[in-house]
Amino acid sequence: MNDNIFGSLARKRILSFIIIGFVALTIAQLFNMQIVNAPTYAERSDDNSVKPIYETAPRGILFDRNNEVLVGNKPSFTLRITPSEYKDTLTPYIETILGVDSGYVRRILKANATYSKYIPRRIAKDVDFKVIAWYEENASKLPGVDYVMETQRDYSFGVMGAHMFGYAREIPMSILQKRKNEYSMGDEIGFAGLEKTYEDILRGKKGIHYVLVDSRQKTIGRYKSGEEDFSAVKGYDLILSIDKPAQKAAEEAFKERRGAVVAIEPATGEIIAFTSSPQYDLADFAKVTSYENYRLLRDNPDKPMLNRATTGYYSPGSTFKMISAIAGLEEGLIDETSRTSCSGGFQFGDRFFKCLHVHGSIDVETSIEKSCNTFYYSLVNKLGLETWSKYAKKFGFGRKSGLDLGEEGGGTVPSTQYYNNRYGKRGWTKGFVISLGIGQGELSVTPLQIAQYAALFANYGKSAKPHFLKAYVDSKTKQRTDVKPQYYDIGISRHSFEIVRHAMWRVVNGAGTAGNIRNPELDISGKTGTAQNTNGKDHAIFVGFAPYDNPKIAIAVIVENAGFGSVAAAPIARDVIAAYLRKSLPNQPLTIAEDH
Amino acid sequence: MKINYKLQDRFDLAVFIPMLLLICFGLLAIYSSTLNLPNARGDFYKQIVFVIVSAVLFLAAYSLPHQTIKMIVIPFYSMSLFFLVAVLAIGKTIYGAKSWFGIGGFGFQPSELAKAGTILMLAYWLTYKNRDINNMKDLTVALGIGFIPIFLILLEPDMGTAIVFALITLVMVFWSGISLFGIFVVLSPGFVIFSSVFGTIPLIGSLLLVIAALFFFKRDLFNSVTVFVINLSSGFFFDFVFKILKPHQQKRIESFLDPLADPLGSGYNALQAKVAIGSGGLYGKGFLHGNQTQLRFIPKQWTDFIYSVIGEEFGFLGSVTVVILFAIIFIRLLNIASLAKDKFSVLIVVGVLTLLFSHFALNIGMDLGITPVIGLPLPFLSYGGSSLMVNMLLMGLVLNIYRNRKLHT
Repeated sequence: MNDNIFGSLARKRILSFIIIGFVALTIAQLFNMQIVNAPTYAERSDDNSVKPIYETAPRGILFDRNNEVLVGNKPSFTLRITPSEYKDTLTPYIETILGVDSGYVRRILKANATYSKYIPRRIAKDVDFKVIAWYEENASKLPGVDYVMETQRDYSFGVMGAHMFGYAREIPMSILQKRKNEYSMGDEIGFAGLEKTYEDILRGKKGIHYVLVDSRQKTIGRYKSGEEDFSAVKGYDLILSIDKPAQKAAEEAFKERRGAVVAIEPATGEIIAFTSSPQYDLADFAKVTSYENYRLLRDNPDKPMLNRATTGYYSPGSTFKMISAIAGLEEGLIDETSRTSCSGGFQFGDRFFKCLHVHGSIDVETSIEKSCNTFYYSLVNKLGLETWSKYAKKFGFGRKSGLDLGEEGGGTVPSTQYYNNRYGKRGWTKGFVISLGIGQGELSVTPLQIAQYAALFANYGKSAKPHFLKAYVDSKTKQRTDVKPQYYDIGISRHSFEIVRHAMWRVVNGAGTAGNIRNPELDISGKTGTAQNTNGKDHAIFVGFAPYDNPKIAIAVIVENAGFGSVAAAPIARDVIAAYLRKSLPNQPLTIAEDH
Repeated sequence: MKINYKLQDRFDLAVFIPMLLLICFGLLAIYSSTLNLPNARGDFYKQIVFVIVSAVLFLAAYSLPHQTIKMIVIPFYSMSLFFLVAVLAIGKTIYGAKSWFGIGGFGFQPSELAKAGTILMLAYWLTYKNRDINNMKDLTVALGIGFIPIFLILLEPDMGTAIVFALITLVMVFWSGISLFGIFVVLSPGFVIFSSVFGTIPLIGSLLLVIAALFFFKRDLFNSVTVFVINLSSGFFFDFVFKILKPHQQKRIESFLDPLADPLGSGYNALQAKVAIGSGGLYGKGFLHGNQTQLRFIPKQWTDFIYSVIGEEFGFLGSVTVVILFAIIFIRLLNIASLAKDKFSVLIVVGVLTLLFSHFALNIGMDLGITPVIGLPLPFLSYGGSSLMVNMLLMGLVLNIYRNRKLHT
């Protein structure tokens, strides 16, 4: 061997150095990976093989004020498709058994195409048991298809309440992107009504079960025998202020009519009954709603999607006379003995404002009882626009009430500024104001506002912000938390209220316009009205409360295109009141009374 | 000649026992990683058969009369080359490389056999009468002995094995006492190739450096021109090699640079192997309890990624034990190389040492992310008959040399 440059020892040293050097490097790297960075690698390893399976949490149940179920939950079958295993050739069979149009499955899969193909997609919710039976028989031929049991809203408790309850639906992409931390794909989210307002407490907490999956996402078993799993926690139950019998009575009365009913407990602002008609069946929304279904509702000329009770604008008509009366009494322009002469109308400049009758010399109580227009033309003329407007606003008109239901309109109460903006400083005359005295002109109110207005009369100007939620109950601890009403007082003397309230009592129980609903047991007070409608027959309105002493319920009823308030609206109010007070009604023939 | 008849004198337990332990570790890891794979379940039992056959080969090589070894060198090497050519014609293509003969349910890898053939042939050639490694002609022939199988293996193509052959050739030439100029001649093409990876200007730069070095060595014109031509052609040869690399091999080189860039591509296996080893921690997750292994996150783990099974299930303690066992064998082989009096035997031991060490370094280095992702089995542990049999055969030969260490040629 030639040792001219490297001696044998030198060669050995070089190789030893390389070997020992590499072995040392290896051990150092092992120490680095398995001791120093072991937790990081362990986490990555778990991420690899541990997959969470989510269990949807049942939403909280909606109860009425007497703990009767309004909206419940029921188990239902949801058919799902996992695209990674699914074969498109199966689509026709699935569409046939579901009874849906061809292209349905493809549309749903396409809508979720951006998600991981290993995540199952809901194809149909609340599917018939015969579909499940068919699936069970053919499961081996249906790769990528499965079903799960889920809880779903159950609307079979005898009330509709579409506009008030609202609905939850699978979270759309647009919202999901904004609320990534709280929701994930396929979660339901309250989308309208109380489901939306109280989403945070209704939704509950998803359950998670960890399973071990292999590199092909196939489930191998449970992770750590389930010790890190937790079950779904049901959302909080809501105790609503709704009274189920009153609600049913209201919905029953509106089956064939259009309009709205809002009933409120005067002292607390609690909503007792709330309906807008026509409405729609929430059960249709609990399924995977087809666009077709939604389009039919949206394009229906009767506008079933419109919540008339909070966003429908109506002219209040004669029901607004009490505002002028209160303003006149409060401002000292009239007292209980002041009289105005009605000769069938009121001359203002070159315009004559008509009354329906010649009432002769008339005091404030009788003016309400008989619904005399002349009295109010004259009174509002003396009050002036600003004073009148101030009182209208005191009663909550012209602004949103703050009801715990997202959509609400504020309506319009004209003021000097309003007219100036609208017509210019010289573009309007004082004549505009005269009509306001009888609730006509550029005045718009919602049924909710006039119900609250009735509540203020019932309780002498003291009430609370209208609301649906009375209390909520933690599903786990069963602890009930009551919601404190937000009380307020509009600051009007009891004396003025006593005069006007008595007049309202006479409307029903005296010689007034709503004598047809007189019933000593119910002891209703109220006021009829006819809302002018430029697009057809006038709307009938009734506002009232009962019983006269210590009122338990205030109510507003609007029946669209029904003409006089006493005929169509007042009996509905009476029925709802009777249902709420648990009084049965004798079968009374309807008498058509004079109205205005 | 006096021979001590104590066992330790005839049979080096310091090599044999670590080897036996490594084989046992390998069997455990193969058992664990194939447990949940019905198709690969039989590989564990096949490996037991391979161990038995290898043991026979080991004993045969150990008992071979010393003089016989030299006699089989040339036929053995010729047969190796024949098989390497044959496999290109009639071999089976597995993972994009035509490197296997299928024989019944078993496969045979001629490149494994060629490792033994090349080591023996180089040892034989380099120690033949009056050989001068610093003679240009002798050096060229020596390099030729190594580079013929490299060329054939690159045609399969099997980059990893070709690298191992290159290392064996270089280390054996090095051990033969090459001069500084000789080292320059052998290594400068590698330097040129490395530079050519970075583009034309570094390539030209490296060639200028080669010219400068040639002036420094002041060799005759013929030698200098030859060396320069070798360097020049190396630069172009690399281009050729890179082109014959399969896309998956090119990707492997890229993925070494950044395995995270492509988590589900070719870097995926290396990344999952790292996760498996790292998550093993100090004590490991326990035999049959590694979730990376049991849930099959590392494809074909019982072959090239066997070390990640040990890392995950036996932790730092198990991983270091394996490394130490290898280190004992390496150091021991180096000592045997110094002990042997016969130059032919010494070079065989050095060749075997290089073979085992380069497999060890490239395989474990890949699992630990310190060397590129090159598919090479881990000696004694990885599943595979050809590799185990040839390694055991060579170990038998080494212990044969140890037994006869006091003999002179």
